[in-house]
Amino acid sequence: MASTENRSEKNTRRESIEQFLYRLLKEGKVDAVLVPKRHPGGNIVSPVLISEPSQIKGTDPLAPVQTVNAASIVKELVKEPVDKKIAAVLRPCEVRATIELIKLKQLSDESLLIIGYDCPGVYNVKEYMHGIENREDKEAFTEEHIHDFLSGDGDLVRESCRFCTYFTADSADVDIAWIGVEPPGIIVAARSEKGRRMTGGMNTGDKDAPTVRKETIGKIEARREKRQKSGIDNLLDLIQPCIRCYNCREVCPLCYCKECLLEPEKMGYTSERYLSRAERKKQIRMPVDTLLYHLTRINHMGYSCVSCGICEQACPMDIPLGTILHVFSKKIQSLFDYVPGRSRDDELPLTTFREEELSEVEDV
Amino acid sequence: MEKKLKIVGFLCNWCSYAGADLAGVSRFQYPADIRVIRVPCSGRVNPLFILKCFQEGADGVLVSGCHPGDCHYQEGNYYTRRRMMMLKDLFCFFGIDKRRFHISWVSASEGKKWADVVTAVVEDVGAALRGSEKQ
Repeated sequence: MASTENRSEKNTRRESIEQFLYRLLKEGKVDAVLVPKRHPGGNIVSPVLISEPSQIKGTDPLAPVQTVNAASIVKELVKEPVDKKIAAVLRPCEVRATIELIKLKQLSDESLLIIGYDCPGVYNVKEYMHGIENREDKEAFTEEHIHDFLSGDGDLVRESCRFCTYFTADSADVDIAWIGVEPPGIIVAARSEKGRRMTGGMNTGDKDAPTVRKETIGKIEARREKRQKSGIDNLLDLIQPCIRCYNCREVCPLCYCKECLLEPEKMGYTSERYLSRAERKKQIRMPVDTLLYHLTRINHMGYSCVSCGICEQACPMDIPLGTILHVFSKKIQSLFDYVPGRSRDDELPLTTFREEELSEVEDV
Repeated sequence: MEKKLKIVGFLCNWCSYAGADLAGVSRFQYPADIRVIRVPCSGRVNPLFILKCFQEGADGVLVSGCHPGDCHYQEGNYYTRRRMMMLKDLFCFFGIDKRRFHISWVSASEGKKWADVVTAVVEDVGAALRGSEKQ
């Protein structure tokens, strides 16, 4: 495990990030910061909107747990234009989901500063709570996790993180890099015009500079690419336990429709219809249409899905939704050479077209 | 005699539906296994319609619209093309033979092409179903 004996005497990466965020708020560059912070109770870390600089103490974006995909919170926070400037400190999957939401015109980003950071991956809440329950030093747990991340990802880490190759936040306005940097060092780099304007004077160099960083990132990517599945041949078996509780829809940052065609009352049938269907098909599994439910979701989310795996964490029946969504969406995205959240300039694949393309679609 | 298939055809009002009409007027012969649903534009076809068809027991689905570039609404079928391509790519994951789902572009003057398309689709869907019965 990581060498953490002398940790109390040295600063940690967490504290370096803390200092940066403190300055950002104190110097009035932003009016509020949305950032994961440890609850006073000590175990869970979840997003907190902070407007008083002193409250930055205790924020912990690196803690390996994600209660919600914070893009959902950002969507709620800036659903309409606001006068104040808000910095959102987001994991790369959350950055990408936020950019998808901007493109989908679901939030107003004029006042929003997206700060991303290198993500060491997370545990699902259950595993995280189990791991940290009896630990005195909560920060040591994070440090050990980071050590594992750099050397090979633990088995208990969320499946979506174990195959994630987008663990750096290249499309954020400002990005906090620490991979390949000697702790407690961090590199703060503006990646957009807005980032440069709002954090002027606080940047600490180009994060791509250290070659160690590039090498480490390459190694982690290669390791994780190997874990990616290219197909699923037993989808029906996998989703069999589905009770259509709608959790996956509720937690998905990209499910944004105000009116959803999957509402229970829209998916249900009259009593007579159930019976006639059962008669015609000999039998129908109840609750009905779980396959249709998931296929519709995949069809709707597929091109924008950032594979954060929050749906898998929310599933009470332990359906491997993270893997299912990843396999399907990767197929869809590769068809249009689209990477969700890669850039604000990439057009959403289904709202655009090229005149000369896909001629193979006509096959008769 | 071979069992009749149930194939659902979504035809756009401006090209394919008129093409099918022309096939009828010109008395071109084609199998009667297709049930036609007229839509204002092939862009009206929600992928969910197709999933629903299969769920409710359709043997095959055909979506037919104007040729790319000839859409009555300028660009509706370009969007259809992307959407349908995406859906088609997913079929391999949930056990529906790709040959049961087809897309074609038939203009109002292509009565003969319509008859040929339906003949080919019926053959393909039949082959796909026979293949799955064998297994």
